[in-house]
Amino acid sequence: MNKLVEKRTVDMQIIGDWVEPGSRVLDLGCGRGVLLDYLQQTKQVRGQGVDLDFHKILGCVRRGVTAYQGDMEVFMRAFPDRFFDRVICSRTVQELADPAAVILEALRAGRAVTVGFVNHGYWKNRADAFFRGRKPRNPVYTTEWFESRPANPVSIADFEDFCTAKGITITRRALLRGDWHTPCGFRPNLFAGYALYDLTR
Amino acid sequence: MNDAEEDIPIVPAEPGEVGLVEPHDFVHAQPFTFESGQVLPGFTLRYETYGRLNAARDNTVIICHALSGDHHCAGIHALTDAKPGWWNNFIGPGKAIDTNHFFVLCANVLGGCQGSSGPSSTDPRTGRPFGLAFPFVTIRDMVHAQKLLCDHLGLTSLAGVIGGSMGGMQVLQWGIEYPAFVRRLIPLATTARESAQAIAFNEVGRQAIMQDPEWNHGDYPKGGGPRVGLAVARMMAHITYLSDESMDQKFGRRRTKRLAPAGVNAPAAYTFDVQFEVESYLRHQGESFINRFDANSYLYITRALDHFDLTAAHGSLEQAFAAVEAETLSVAFTSDWLFPSAQNREIVLALLRAGKHASYAELATNLGHDSFLLESEDLYSLVRSFLGSPRPS
Repeated sequence: MNKLVEKRTVDMQIIGDWVEPGSRVLDLGCGRGVLLDYLQQTKQVRGQGVDLDFHKILGCVRRGVTAYQGDMEVFMRAFPDRFFDRVICSRTVQELADPAAVILEALRAGRAVTVGFVNHGYWKNRADAFFRGRKPRNPVYTTEWFESRPANPVSIADFEDFCTAKGITITRRALLRGDWHTPCGFRPNLFAGYALYDLTR
Repeated sequence: MNDAEEDIPIVPAEPGEVGLVEPHDFVHAQPFTFESGQVLPGFTLRYETYGRLNAARDNTVIICHALSGDHHCAGIHALTDAKPGWWNNFIGPGKAIDTNHFFVLCANVLGGCQGSSGPSSTDPRTGRPFGLAFPFVTIRDMVHAQKLLCDHLGLTSLAGVIGGSMGGMQVLQWGIEYPAFVRRLIPLATTARESAQAIAFNEVGRQAIMQDPEWNHGDYPKGGGPRVGLAVARMMAHITYLSDESMDQKFGRRRTKRLAPAGVNAPAAYTFDVQFEVESYLRHQGESFINRFDANSYLYITRALDHFDLTAAHGSLEQAFAAVEAETLSVAFTSDWLFPSAQNREIVLALLRAGKHASYAELATNLGHDSFLLESEDLYSLVRSFLGSPRPS
């Protein structure tokens, strides 16, 4: 359990390091506003969350995080180019029906886009599929396939190919090993458990 | 000086209920200029308050009522009252708007007919009801009059302003007109710009009233007037507050009991008497409305709704909200087709584009526009969390 909590905060700390103090930050799939709350406390950002679920919005309001209930792509379309200093899409990309459309729209509405995801190319996930013949399961995605998450697993190699194909500039990356703590410099698509990217157009 | 030391500790009332309450009259004895340029030598607002004003006089939450609402939003006037105020489920000690923390204020709108100055009030120049001599009222006029009441009560600022439907329009107007005076805005089931469909329904209601010969160009004695027209207007409007699904659940095609006379196969259905429960319900709504509402007020207030268009008034919605300082929480209801969620979303998106703090939440309900009066723990939690506690004084 503690390990899981730690894994969550590692993610938050790295994003916190990347975020400019006082900037305007949009969190796509903001959940109950934990990340934005943290960024508001530590970086005095002007946070804005978007989520589909009423109870997530309620959680944000409880924390003093402003949030909008609705579709993230439709939401972003309501804003002029580069309105947000940073758009964060952390542990959300796997759930999107059209990730390219969301990331490209985020690159329009934001000056920078931060994407974080569990690397499904990680060797344990491969071993899971190879030896067990089952959908990968790990400390974050603990569910059976019929519980349907994640819908669209992504690996580091998939994501970097996508950035190349769309002409997206990767300005920073944080690739972490299976402990989600130690930086992973060697064959990250195989040995990194978690990946964070900072993107611009 | 530490005001807090002087403050008498708040003793909670009956748990959960504000209990017995009484209305008060605020008489503004100076000329009041309406947005139309017309002037009244003075006006009266009837209002109620619940809870206690704190020493800093900054813990007030204003409740703005809808078209047919009034100042009596919580508690009872007498132990024999059949029903409490219209938002009693929402307001009280420990409720969503907690009267242990907040001083709650609700006034009947200017132009109304429940004790505030309106077309049914007596014109001092003639000794008869104003009728159409009453100045045209706008949402802004309503809010200006409420601000004068706040000044009269010595309020230093407002912890929040909340209201649904026309009440939500007043909430937005409050944030625009008196930005430094309001800390939180909660517009529910509303719009920043009355739509063509909503104007259309208002117009049908007005025509029903004005085509009734008893209307007589607005000149009718107290207690008289276009009772048939007003009842029809109310019946029609009431449909717009519900939804196909909720009406089907509530009434379906059920027949009234009066039909089906005993032992007879009589084709009782082949008449135009009340046959369906939904008809009987609407007739009841119409009839009870004419006993408490003035037809001219109905015309004036629906016109105020029609004229509400923040976009046109300020060039754009972003410009309209440019002055807003308060934080906003907008709530819409999926089955509301009078003020659909898209119109509520637009309020929040424009506030955000204008660089303001605003949240948007949507409740899945099937009750239509009237959903904002829903007994919903989710709605209670949301509003309670957003209002938080008043600033320490």
